Amino acid sequence: MNQKNRLQSGGRIDRNQPMSFEFNGQLMVGYQGDTLASALLANGVDVVGRSFKYSRPRGIVTAGADEPNAVVQLGATEATQTPNVRATQQELFDGLVAGSTNGWPSVDNDFMGMVGKIGGSMMPPGFYYKTFMFPQSLWETYETFIRKAAGLGRSSKESDVDVYDRMNQFCDVLVVGAGPAGLCAALAAARGGARVILADEQSEFGGSLLDGKETISGKPADEWINKVVTELEKTEDVLLLPRSTVNGYHDQNFLTIHQRCSDHLSDRAPTNQPRHRMHRVRAKRVILATGAQERPLVFGNNDIPGCMTSTAVSTYINRYGVAPGENLVVMTTNDYGYQAAMDWHDAGRKVSCVVDTRETVTGYVVDAMHERGIRIMTGSAITEVHGSKRVKAVSIAPINEDGSKVVGPAAKWNVDTVASSGGWSPAVHLSCHTGSRPVWNDDIIGFVPGPTVQKQLTAGGINGCYELENVFKEGLGAGKQALKELGLEPTRLMTPKVESHERNPAMALFLVPHRKPMSRAPKQFVDYQNDVTAGGIELACREGFQSIEHVKRYTALGFGTDQGKLGNINGMAIAAQVQNKTLPETGTTVFRPNYTPITFGAIAGRDCGELFDPKRYTAMQPWHVANGALFEDVGQWKRPWYFPKPGESMQAALNRECKATRESVGILDASTLGKIDIQGKDAREFLGRVYTNAWAKLPVGKCRYGLMCGEDGMIFDDGVTSCLGENHFLMTTTTGGAARVLEWLEIYHQTEWPELEVYFNSVTDHWSTMTISGPNSRKLLAELTDADLSNDNFGFMDWKTANVAGVPARIFRISFTGELSYEINVQANYGLHVWEQLFAHGEKYNLTPYGTETMHILRAEKGFIIAGQDTDGAVHPHDLGMSWAVANSKPFSYIGKRGMAREDCVRPDRKQLVGLKTTDPNVVIPEGSQGVFDPKAPIPMPMVGHVTSSYWSENLGHSIAMGLVKGGLSKMGEKVYYPQADGSVIEAEICSPVFLDPKGERQNV
Amino acid sequence: MSEANNNVRLVMDQLPGDDIQGRSPLHHADLATVAAQGSQEGGVTIQHHPLVGLLTLRCNAGDADQMAAASKLLGVELHCQPLTSSAGEGVAVRWMSPDEWLISVDGAKAFDLETAFHNDMPGHYALVNVGGGLTVLEVSGEHAVDVMMKTAPVDFHLNTFPVGKVVSTVFAKSSATIRRLADDRFELVIRRSFADYLWLWLQDASREYGLVVRT
Repeated sequence: MNQKNRLQSGGRIDRNQPMSFEFNGQLMVGYQGDTLASALLANGVDVVGRSFKYSRPRGIVTAGADEPNAVVQLGATEATQTPNVRATQQELFDGLVAGSTNGWPSVDNDFMGMVGKIGGSMMPPGFYYKTFMFPQSLWETYETFIRKAAGLGRSSKESDVDVYDRMNQFCDVLVVGAGPAGLCAALAAARGGARVILADEQSEFGGSLLDGKETISGKPADEWINKVVTELEKTEDVLLLPRSTVNGYHDQNFLTIHQRCSDHLSDRAPTNQPRHRMHRVRAKRVILATGAQERPLVFGNNDIPGCMTSTAVSTYINRYGVAPGENLVVMTTNDYGYQAAMDWHDAGRKVSCVVDTRETVTGYVVDAMHERGIRIMTGSAITEVHGSKRVKAVSIAPINEDGSKVVGPAAKWNVDTVASSGGWSPAVHLSCHTGSRPVWNDDIIGFVPGPTVQKQLTAGGINGCYELENVFKEGLGAGKQALKELGLEPTRLMTPKVESHERNPAMALFLVPHRKPMSRAPKQFVDYQNDVTAGGIELACREGFQSIEHVKRYTALGFGTDQGKLGNINGMAIAAQVQNKTLPETGTTVFRPNYTPITFGAIAGRDCGELFDPKRYTAMQPWHVANGALFEDVGQWKRPWYFPKPGESMQAALNRECKATRESVGILDASTLGKIDIQGKDAREFLGRVYTNAWAKLPVGKCRYGLMCGEDGMIFDDGVTSCLGENHFLMTTTTGGAARVLEWLEIYHQTEWPELEVYFNSVTDHWSTMTISGPNSRKLLAELTDADLSNDNFGFMDWKTANVAGVPARIFRISFTGELSYEINVQANYGLHVWEQLFAHGEKYNLTPYGTETMHILRAEKGFIIAGQDTDGAVHPHDLGMSWAVANSKPFSYIGKRGMAREDCVRPDRKQLVGLKTTDPNVVIPEGSQGVFDPKAPIPMPMVGHVTSSYWSENLGHSIAMGLVKGGLSKMGEKVYYPQADGSVIEAEICSPVFLDPKGERQNV
Repeated sequence: MSEANNNVRLVMDQLPGDDIQGRSPLHHADLATVAAQGSQEGGVTIQHHPLVGLLTLRCNAGDADQMAAASKLLGVELHCQPLTSSAGEGVAVRWMSPDEWLISVDGAKAFDLETAFHNDMPGHYALVNVGGGLTVLEVSGEHAVDVMMKTAPVDFHLNTFPVGKVVSTVFAKSSATIRRLADDRFELVIRRSFADYLWLWLQDASREYGLVVRT
């Protein structure tokens, strides 16, 4: 296709750098400097998509972030698919591939178009809610069909191949928008020595100056832009971010900027370069210089391709060298709309006329039209557009003074392009993100930013200030004001000289009248992306929706990816008009982040794939990997789960590991256990207060098990604490509880008992811990140490320092398996060495590594609890039958003492932990099963507690389980039943949880 | 050390003889090979300092005797000013919290320091050897600051983060104690168990600037 709409000269494109691209399967050529939208227009593409509900053909309406129709699917490969890309913001690159997101099977021959055409008035607002809800069983069918036919693109089915990044930024002044106001603000702030970030969503700085023909101090505007940008680039502590949309303004002047680093270069980011970067900015002051967006007018069939905003027409001509049609008609309520007619005419194309809705107009614009021989029709409006896939003609009719009525017959004019201007809507979006409501300003016929608690300044178009000279002044003023507030000294700056014009007052007109009432007139679109019409808004109001928030939700006004940038104000004004209210009375909905759609990649940054979450490893990790361990997540730790031999099933591996440990010796990497070094003369007293049992008399060289409770008396952690010196202890915690326990100790120390002399330090990572367990563990250890390991000199619950495999170690004779066990602690840099040496000597004892699963089985055989598995925050020590670990005679109270004395905590029928022996020894009750005393009881059955731990015990030859049972401790020998989801019932007998070696002889040998 | 004092706390030399080589948390990554075979030029250089001696000191900043004694034992001033550090011959001290400092010395010197404190530090204190649980990385180069900005929510501008400043903070999804050694050089003290994750993170975050690994 040739570029039939491309002008011979002009624009900021480089005609020497052609770029080929593909749209909906068609190859086309544009130039360096084009956006996808300008290239499509240059190639004469009218239809870029189909509308959401009515499936009407749609064309490009704007030239910026407010584009509702040209939302395309981008990506040359499956892995690089990106939905929701506005063609007006996507820079063209060689090889770009894009397609329409709406329209099935194709934009030109669309299935839903038929429905829309037949439907027409059958598709009122709430259509989907009303129609497809019944019969409910069919909704899924409807939904699949609707989603396929509608929607705005799709995500990739493959992993994203690109890298995304995040960066934390800090600055004195963040200037949002690099138009004339933003450039001035940034320049003023930078000259005053502030740390400045200047962000703009476009590829070039300059904002509206890039779209027009203004001269500044007698020279083309881009000379001034270049001068300012060059100075900013050279200034220290100024960060310039083009292609960076400030997408969110959050509390405490925290803002997020979405920088598109390489979207303009190719389908994929260059090697090692991020595709997008999210800047998370803390700014002392924010200057919003976001400008304003032009409101299109609402008139019959105003969605037919060829209808555009008047600034879009100017922008395509001036910036991109594209005149998107042959024969233009302009409709405007204000002087700014005339610019499109001037630019179109100056580009050598025909302007049929300018239709001005105002009664009279004088001055500069009239002169400009006269000079060009363009006819002005005042007091008139375009009431209706004719055509289907492109504008063919318009009907122009006279209207009354306030624009509420058509007062004469319409005349038909043959044109192919309609530019409309309903005035400006300040881009207040960011100012709303933190909850500030915009305020209506009658003078400028628009909402401006309302009061805010943020450290925020505004300048230029966002304030409704549109005359360039004033925009410059506001920009410089905001920069200086920011400096002043920051205690910096502003420097003197001259306001750039520009030509200014006396303007006729604008007319407040939102809906162009039609000779038929709103409900009967051809569709007058307010929100293109959601197919919301003036008639739809009227109907919503008639159906009783009054609040603008309700009207919005019922009609879907402003719901699209464009967030109602074009349509919201018109829609609110129409709702106000229908309800006989003023716009301020109707109010406005507010905007939320993000300003424009953002990729998930930019949000995720590099927190994905391998780096999604930290994986914590012990010093023995390389050995575990080399020896085929499978891993289990315990918090962020990767702990060996079990060590299957080739071809071995999980159960077979567990059986083997359990047998080997009970019969000879097994080894567990217990390095992940939390370890806290406790020192100070009051350490012992402190332990007595946080544990339920007594610590006053624990001698140096001894270890003791303790239960830790919350104030409510419920267990939250447990572990062994050893007395290293008179004033020195080592506490161990559960793997998952380590950080919480340290915090708990610090909180109590700092807030309740600061008088106690004690310090806590985490040494979890410092010590590698390996537990050898089983009847041969003594023999194995004896080969590696010179310590006296005899039972008389190194008894159960003793600890010693000694060398193990040449490394100084602390050896603790404690046991979580009920076997003779030694827990060896060495400085972690030597953990792997000692572990390897144990294996070097362990072969003759069949030293068997085991993981967390075998650990769970072995401890369950002994009835040892796991805090967090057998307890759930509602279990106190007596519920576990562990009254032996509670010392109520301590002189000072302990945390939880009062709690567990509460009336509810001493009920005899509390859920208590007991052992469970299934009647069928081969059945393993699923963990979590709910127990009942009477399996024949009517539903809902009274439930008496759940199974907390349940395993197959190869050592015992039958299943074992523990569970909470109401009054269980006094029901030994009684039956409890576990109904299963499949209808079966597992019968079990309540028994002691200690299934093996009830006298504890094995660990004492 | 007095006999009565002897049993108060356990002080032990935790290191074996020189015949047994300690293995840092990044030992398995074989950084020497990576350094030799990888790029020799780039915007970011990462260096691992394995087996540094690291100790946590807890004592009372309001106790002048303790502060004087500790400064003398360390050979550098123990600062009470938050987020500062002091460094001397073979020793650096990082402020961690109002009653906590992180000390680094040569790996073999940790036990000597513990013993010296045990003998001569008055009052209630704790000096805990944590060298096995931490390791030290150094990030330097033209783009070192950029990598730090990607990783920690801290303002690294020289005006607010001058040389010598110390911040313990969120680092990627883990944590680190960051000390600025020079305009473009940062020391990170990180936890052993997170070392793999953080290494991979830094490597990934540095890639766009060109990464050099040095030993």
